[in-house]
Amino acid sequence: MTPPKPDPVIHVIDDEAPFRRSLVFLLESSGWTACEHDSAESFLAAPPILPTAGGCLVLDIRMPRISGLELQRRLTALNSPWPIIFMTGHGDVDLAVQAMKDGAVDFLQKPFKDQAFLDTIERAVELSRTRQQASRRCNDARALLDRLSPRETEVARHLALGLSNKEIGRELAISDNTVHVHRQHVMEKTATGSAAELARLILRADPNGLDG
Amino acid sequence: MDVRSFSFARLCALLVALWPTVAGAGDLRIGVLAWFGDQTAATQWQRLGAALQAQLPATTVHIAYHDMNGLENALAAGELDFIITNPGHYVVLESRHRATRIATQKIEPDRDSEHAVGSAVIVPSERSDLQTLDDLRGRRIAATVPDGFSGWLTVWAELKRRDIDPENEEVTPVFAGLPMSRVLETLERGEVDAGILRVCLLEHLVRQGRLPAGRYRVLSPQEPDAPCLRSTPTYPGWAFAAAVQTPDALARAVLVALLSLNGREDVLRWGVPADYHPVHAMLRDLQVAPYDFLRAHRLEAQIRRYWPIGAGLLVLLVLWLFYTLRVEVMVQRRTRELSAALAARDEIEESMQAQRQKMEHLSRLSVLGELSGTLAHELNQPLATIGNYARSLTRRLTAGKLSDAAVAQAAQEIAEQAERAAGILEGIRNFARKRASQREDCDAGKLVGEIVTLFRGMLARAPEIRIEDRLPDERRKVRVDRLQIQQVLLNLMKNALDAHCAIGRAGEPIEILLAPAGERTKITVRDHGPGLAEADGTRLFEPFFTTKPDGMGLGLSICKGIVEAHAGQLVAAPPDDGHGLCLSFTLPSAATPHHDAT
Repeated sequence: MTPPKPDPVIHVIDDEAPFRRSLVFLLESSGWTACEHDSAESFLAAPPILPTAGGCLVLDIRMPRISGLELQRRLTALNSPWPIIFMTGHGDVDLAVQAMKDGAVDFLQKPFKDQAFLDTIERAVELSRTRQQASRRCNDARALLDRLSPRETEVARHLALGLSNKEIGRELAISDNTVHVHRQHVMEKTATGSAAELARLILRADPNGLDG
Repeated sequence: MDVRSFSFARLCALLVALWPTVAGAGDLRIGVLAWFGDQTAATQWQRLGAALQAQLPATTVHIAYHDMNGLENALAAGELDFIITNPGHYVVLESRHRATRIATQKIEPDRDSEHAVGSAVIVPSERSDLQTLDDLRGRRIAATVPDGFSGWLTVWAELKRRDIDPENEEVTPVFAGLPMSRVLETLERGEVDAGILRVCLLEHLVRQGRLPAGRYRVLSPQEPDAPCLRSTPTYPGWAFAAAVQTPDALARAVLVALLSLNGREDVLRWGVPADYHPVHAMLRDLQVAPYDFLRAHRLEAQIRRYWPIGAGLLVLLVLWLFYTLRVEVMVQRRTRELSAALAARDEIEESMQAQRQKMEHLSRLSVLGELSGTLAHELNQPLATIGNYARSLTRRLTAGKLSDAAVAQAAQEIAEQAERAAGILEGIRNFARKRASQREDCDAGKLVGEIVTLFRGMLARAPEIRIEDRLPDERRKVRVDRLQIQQVLLNLMKNALDAHCAIGRAGEPIEILLAPAGERTKITVRDHGPGLAEADGTRLFEPFFTTKPDGMGLGLSICKGIVEAHAGQLVAAPPDDGHGLCLSFTLPSAATPHHDAT
């Protein structure tokens, strides 16, 4: 278990020890904090949490038993936030394309330039930070929306869709005044001042939150 | 007449009385040699004819006069019953016509007889340089005719006895012809240094006053006190001989008549047949008739006499030569054909060998090619690692935070990776190199170990390869072409890996078993793949047969060739336990002599 650190963490997963060590050495030369794993299994045995400062995974696409692609699938299933960079050998382009479709950040064909590698790491770590922030805002929005009662949630959704009090009352078969009271509670609880603001909050919590 | 000859005469008279009819039987034909011409001879021999006629009244005596050839021809033609001739000529006729002498003319040694047989060589008395016959060397000498007995042959024999050979031109005879007086004429003219006369002729001529006494001198006189001087021995006198067809009775009658003659004259004095051996000896020595064949012996006679044998030998020689030549030509042709055939065979073998080597090389390259994808990856790994460390060091240096520990770690890693890359390249280069086949003794386990290392080195993630070595210590060595056998093993391992990949289990271990098999060493490569369909089993080792979509199909067919060149066999068989395939072959042990097929 990697303890949470303020720095971003790069995990290198490759069964080729010398090469793996050389990548760690390179990353450390550029000031990154790097961890190494000799197989997918050892990584999955204790999956590290993505630090607030971000980080990424560097995976060899071909590994015995659990390959890089397989590890990617398992992490996706776990909703892992780690951005993944694949390293491929000559002639593994098909595998690389599949990896990109499955959400990989990038792939590097060996042998690769150290600068290209480090740039890709930089980009992935940046992406991880962005994802961290997006995730955090979503969680905040959900926390606000979770404070609403079921009736208030319904009223909030209709408000976000731009309906008037009268229209909401007719829709929900309640009086205008009742709608007005619920509206005031929603605004207070979500600390929003307008229907447009409320709509953004709902979408932040759930991109599909306003559908049908 | 002495008592003995008188008794003989009486005996002969008695014989005549016993066959009275024989004497009266017709004509009695006598041929006489006349060297002075018929007329002279007739006057000489007339008295003998008359005397015989008187002795033999019942017959009519005819006397004919001939020269030598004429006499011989008449005798040969059967025209004569008897002949009278000189000793030399008689010997000839005796040999050629089987004439038989019945009496010999009696010449008293002390008598000056014109029938004496022997020769005197005369020179002008003033020629003081000519004292003996030996002095005649290099001179010219006058003779009568080449076959004249007293006129040439007797002197020739005497000269030859003194090692003066007229035939070697050590003395030159000049033949003046008959009568003998021509010899004197030639000598008178000074054309010659000496002349040959029959014995007593010189004395006769002097006595008749036809030559002044002392005008000529006789060389090498044999008996200086004799009435007639002679330079040669005397020979038996003239012969009275019967022709071959003359009846014995007639011969006897004539003999008796001859012996009964009585008179002072030479022609009437006949005695018992003399021994003509000296004449024979002389003529044989001179190699003249009848011994002329001896002369011929020396020259063309040999050829004439033996020409059938000679010709036969020649024919045989020619045949033998022809045969020998023919045999020689055939042997040469066969040899040429054979060596041409051998050369052609060698050429074919050589080109086949070259082709095989090329194919082997190709197959090695082909195996390498099939492995090259992972090979590139494998080489990239150490190179990339090295690059990473080098750049890392640069970065740390630039950042001013290069620690000794970091340098040490990077240097260590770089060195290891460089060695690893070099090792991979070396193995491949050795393997891919073009080369001629060469046998060496090597440890079978080591051989397998090396190629397994190369195989694993060429693969990014090589499967486990389990080597089970059951070879006892004394059976470890095999005599093989190391690279060829490693090529076979590499192919078999590659096949095993492909078989595993085909069922998606690339990580399955490959098993290699080394075990003694009789005198040889058996190596088996076993996989756990899908095995072999029965139909493929028969075609497995054919060139260009492959079950792989990207294979060339040359690998196993070349492996088979290599194994067979090591007097072994490449066999595919299902394993005893479980699924998969066993490919096995045997190798000659180092100590075992084996047939070298390559």
